[in-house]
Amino acid sequence: MLDNSRTASQQLLRWGIYGLLALMALIYLMPLWVMLLTSLKDIEEIRSGTLLSLPQGLNFDAWQKAWSSACTGGTCEGISPYLANSFLIVIPAVAISTLVGALNGYVVAMWRFRGSELFFGLLLVGCFIPFQVVLLPMARTLSFLGLANTTTGLVLVHVVYGIAFTTLFFRNFYVGLPRELISAARLDGAGFFTIFRRIILPLSTPIIVVTVIWQFTQIWNDFLFGVVFSGSDTQPVTVALNNLVNTSFGGKQYNVDMAAALIAALPTLLVYVLAGKYFVRGLTAGAVKG
Amino acid sequence: MAALTIDNVQKRYGQTEVLKGIDIAIDKGEFLILVGPSGCGKSTLMNSIAGLEEVSDGRILIGDQDVTRASPKDRDIAMVFQSYALYPNMTVRQNIAFGLEIRKVPKAEREAEVKRVAQMLQIEHLLERKPSQLSGGQRQRVAMGRALARRPRLYLFDEPLSNLDAKLRVEMRTEIKKLHQRLGTTIVYVTHDQIEAMTLADRIAVMRDGELLQLATPQEIYDNPANQFVAGFMGSPAMNFIPCQLAQGDTGIGVQLEDGNGQPVWLPLPDGGAGLQQAQLGKTVTLGLRPEMITEPQPHKAGQPLVREVAIRVDVTEPTGADTMVLTELSGVEVNCRVNPRYPLATGQLASLMFDMSKAVLFDPITEARLDN
Repeated sequence: MLDNSRTASQQLLRWGIYGLLALMALIYLMPLWVMLLTSLKDIEEIRSGTLLSLPQGLNFDAWQKAWSSACTGGTCEGISPYLANSFLIVIPAVAISTLVGALNGYVVAMWRFRGSELFFGLLLVGCFIPFQVVLLPMARTLSFLGLANTTTGLVLVHVVYGIAFTTLFFRNFYVGLPRELISAARLDGAGFFTIFRRIILPLSTPIIVVTVIWQFTQIWNDFLFGVVFSGSDTQPVTVALNNLVNTSFGGKQYNVDMAAALIAALPTLLVYVLAGKYFVRGLTAGAVKG
Repeated sequence: MAALTIDNVQKRYGQTEVLKGIDIAIDKGEFLILVGPSGCGKSTLMNSIAGLEEVSDGRILIGDQDVTRASPKDRDIAMVFQSYALYPNMTVRQNIAFGLEIRKVPKAEREAEVKRVAQMLQIEHLLERKPSQLSGGQRQRVAMGRALARRPRLYLFDEPLSNLDAKLRVEMRTEIKKLHQRLGTTIVYVTHDQIEAMTLADRIAVMRDGELLQLATPQEIYDNPANQFVAGFMGSPAMNFIPCQLAQGDTGIGVQLEDGNGQPVWLPLPDGGAGLQQAQLGKTVTLGLRPEMITEPQPHKAGQPLVREVAIRVDVTEPTGADTMVLTELSGVEVNCRVNPRYPLATGQLASLMFDMSKAVLFDPITEARLDN
């Protein structure tokens, strides 16, 4: 009797937990669902129906418009050119900041020098500096370098800002690798870069995945640096999306706004779907070992 | 010319002295073991030889080349690490060939060398595996293979067997000894296991607190330890240390202690107490006597000048099969005796055991230094 009641109450608890989890998932997914529904309706349907009413059919007109003909400020080319801008910024910025972070982490974890802990500590401060603080000095620096309003300038800003995080990730991962690996390779005759390239980098796949996802999302989603440091033709998609939503002739075109927002969010969503499990695994691996 | 010369090597971290002026020279083909309790500086010394740590003072020579400031890759040294430190991303073959590849050895030669080493260590069937697919003993072999492949002038082993289980450790120990005999390599080997030190070494360097206490052959260290620490560290079960007084007997100076009945008993010393002066009579000293020198009465030894029978009380018996260890108390300290298992013993009763004093040593109870030579 006692046993039975215990299993019954345990089962109840289990279902309770599932219920709570489902509720949470629902709350988180609701905006995405509403966006998707709205993007597939036309303006009439939006006016007459409720937020959650289903569209009458699969109507991709709003997507088409958001992609190639919606107006963002002065031009009416949709958000596709800005999507390309974003890729031009994100790909080099992610690649460079990840590589530099890996090298930094390798040095700080494996080749300790006098003051390397202080160096690392100072670098960590970089993780806590608010974006707003560096806007003006960064603008001065970019114009001094002749990189104001250019894609290269934005890449530089994101690399500089990302290095603190990427170094932290790689350092914490490398601290968990045995130092004797380095000693063995040195006795085998390998130098600093050979050891990095032949031994350390091939072991870094999990943390590279984590860093790439992290940096990709951060840089892709950035709005502040994009709006401040880009020119009219180098704007990233986040800035274009804002312009699109704020540019209106007549009534608000919610369906186009939603479609544009979904397009802008698609790359990060894809990255999570494809590499999400590595992200969680890599983060915890680093956390436990570090 | 020595294969390796360590000349007054010192190492300091700030105020802490880790190595306090070590002098060791070993010949080509010699197997030197650095042994000592953890924190004695043996690993630091090994890393200094490898060039992984810089020394604060002194010189290190390999052959006649001064390598004190040379980088590890220019020292022509190979090392086997405690954790094996195999490259996890490479196969066994790549692990063994890596050092050759870095040194730009032609591919055909590399392959021949991998084959030779793999045959020697019987790991040919493992060549395409990754280290994670190997057992502890197999990893150990691969780590040795990696060291052997380069044919360096000097091999360093840093506690290579301490991660293996007891049975495998004994097997690999024998294997390392065979390998050394076959190849005639010069080896410096760090361990904290005194049995490993005794079985493998041509010479043992016993270290404590950054100092070299004694450098000698295993038998010399066992029979003739420089001080009480060395005597106690080497040998298992450890040497007995019995407090007693120097006293004159009919064959010279000997020691006096209390037997199991509380009666005074006088025991002779080798060479009639050579090296001791009459003025020291009555002084309290520590007698060092190994357990195997206290046995059941053996007829063939009876009547020898340095052999005496003493009554002891049997407190505990520990049969090991080959011998029975008898624990008793003499002069207030616990004493281990190694007795034939067939010799009748009753716990709590008196028994008469034979004390062979031919290898007895004396220590100063305060400084722990040897008194009798």
